[in-house]
Amino acid sequence: MRLTAFNLHRIGNVVLSELHVTVIALFIGEVELLEAGPITGESQPDEQAVFASAVEDIAQKQCRKAFTLLFEFFAPRLKSFMLRLGTDATQAEELAQEVMITVWRKAGQYDRAQASVSTWIFRIARNRRIDAWRRQKKLDAEADDPLLSPSELPHPEDEYHLRETETRVRSAMMHLPEDQLRLLKAAFFEGLSHSEIAERMNLPLGTVKSRIRLAFQKLRPRLSDEHADDVG
Amino acid sequence: MERSLSHGQAIGDEFYSAYAAGTLDPALILLVETQAALREDVRRELHAADTVAGVFLERESPANMSEMSLTRTLNAIDKLDISAERNERAARTAGSILDELIVLPEPLKAKALAAAGEAGWKFGGPGLKVMPLELDSEASVELLRIEPGHGAPRHSHSGQEYTLVVTGGFTDENGSYGPGDLSIAGPHDTHQPIADPGETCYALAVSDGGRKFTGWLGVAQKLFG
Repeated sequence: MRLTAFNLHRIGNVVLSELHVTVIALFIGEVELLEAGPITGESQPDEQAVFASAVEDIAQKQCRKAFTLLFEFFAPRLKSFMLRLGTDATQAEELAQEVMITVWRKAGQYDRAQASVSTWIFRIARNRRIDAWRRQKKLDAEADDPLLSPSELPHPEDEYHLRETETRVRSAMMHLPEDQLRLLKAAFFEGLSHSEIAERMNLPLGTVKSRIRLAFQKLRPRLSDEHADDVG
Repeated sequence: MERSLSHGQAIGDEFYSAYAAGTLDPALILLVETQAALREDVRRELHAADTVAGVFLERESPANMSEMSLTRTLNAIDKLDISAERNERAARTAGSILDELIVLPEPLKAKALAAAGEAGWKFGGPGLKVMPLELDSEASVELLRIEPGHGAPRHSHSGQEYTLVVTGGFTDENGSYGPGDLSIAGPHDTHQPIADPGETCYALAVSDGGRKFTGWLGVAQKLFG
């Protein structure tokens, strides 16, 4: 079975993004798909669950197929992420590959109750990039220095809240207006300071600060309003 | 005065976004991660920030990878030395026999264990020991060990000083600080922290020592400066 490339796909009443389709296409015929839940009209296949199963298969069975799935999806995006920060194409690709090798090595440390695979891989990529910067500054950090391992902040008692956070952030981000998303992306992903963003987007600094605060507040569950829903 | 102290509260959005994006100074990364280890609210803020970044990674438009990229990566995986993983674990275990530092949360413990093998503890005054931590930062980063009833001599600051209580607690003119509480003192604050009775107080102090924070620390300066 082959799925052709459209931007959006409709199965029943569920609109699937290209992301879903990539995952489904890669997993057709794989037993692992069952763990992610059946694809029916009602239940949207949870690509995060598919990714999580893939990491677990790497940890438990050194499954290269699962690794290939993750690589196909994440490596090109990791390369884009690295390219954003001014690294050249060759180095960006090398860094993306190194991040994926770390995914293989650290798969046993992944815990789906603590974070989605995207969040986990992003953390590895971020730390890898910080290491690369350090080495550029000739501060001789060794690649395998155990002290440079990503901090996983493991607190099993937080499990419920971490899931809540993940769910809340994801659903809120679907509803944020485009201009707020651009601000969040500049701050949280591209690493621009508020004043750099103000300059780039030609907005007053105070406006940037208050809009980012507003947008981030919509995303994070507060201890005080656990069940409040001020999204949208 | 009030603005210069972050009594028991979490720090601002720009701090978290710089953390998520990886542009925060290593000294402040250690500070914020240690505070996260101690406080659930900070953990949740960091997790939300990282999740935001993770979602943008998913949405990133894929770059072209060279043809052999996957093959090369799989070959590299074949050559991975499994023992590297074991060595890492052994290093952690061996380090942890320094049980004086075992009370510290990660990632601070790892940094402190490394520093214990380098400069180690220095005499800082009666009941006060100080251990400098080596980070790739312009800032001075020190672990303080304060016996109950003792403390730092009365001092002012030429710049910014962030002090995070890790265990025990201390009290100064501005109030009492417990585990996870952050005291932020600016250039014009003068204080004399004294460790509270009971448990030995460990605290993480990050200070610019009068230098202007540059580069990575620019973010913090804009926030608190």
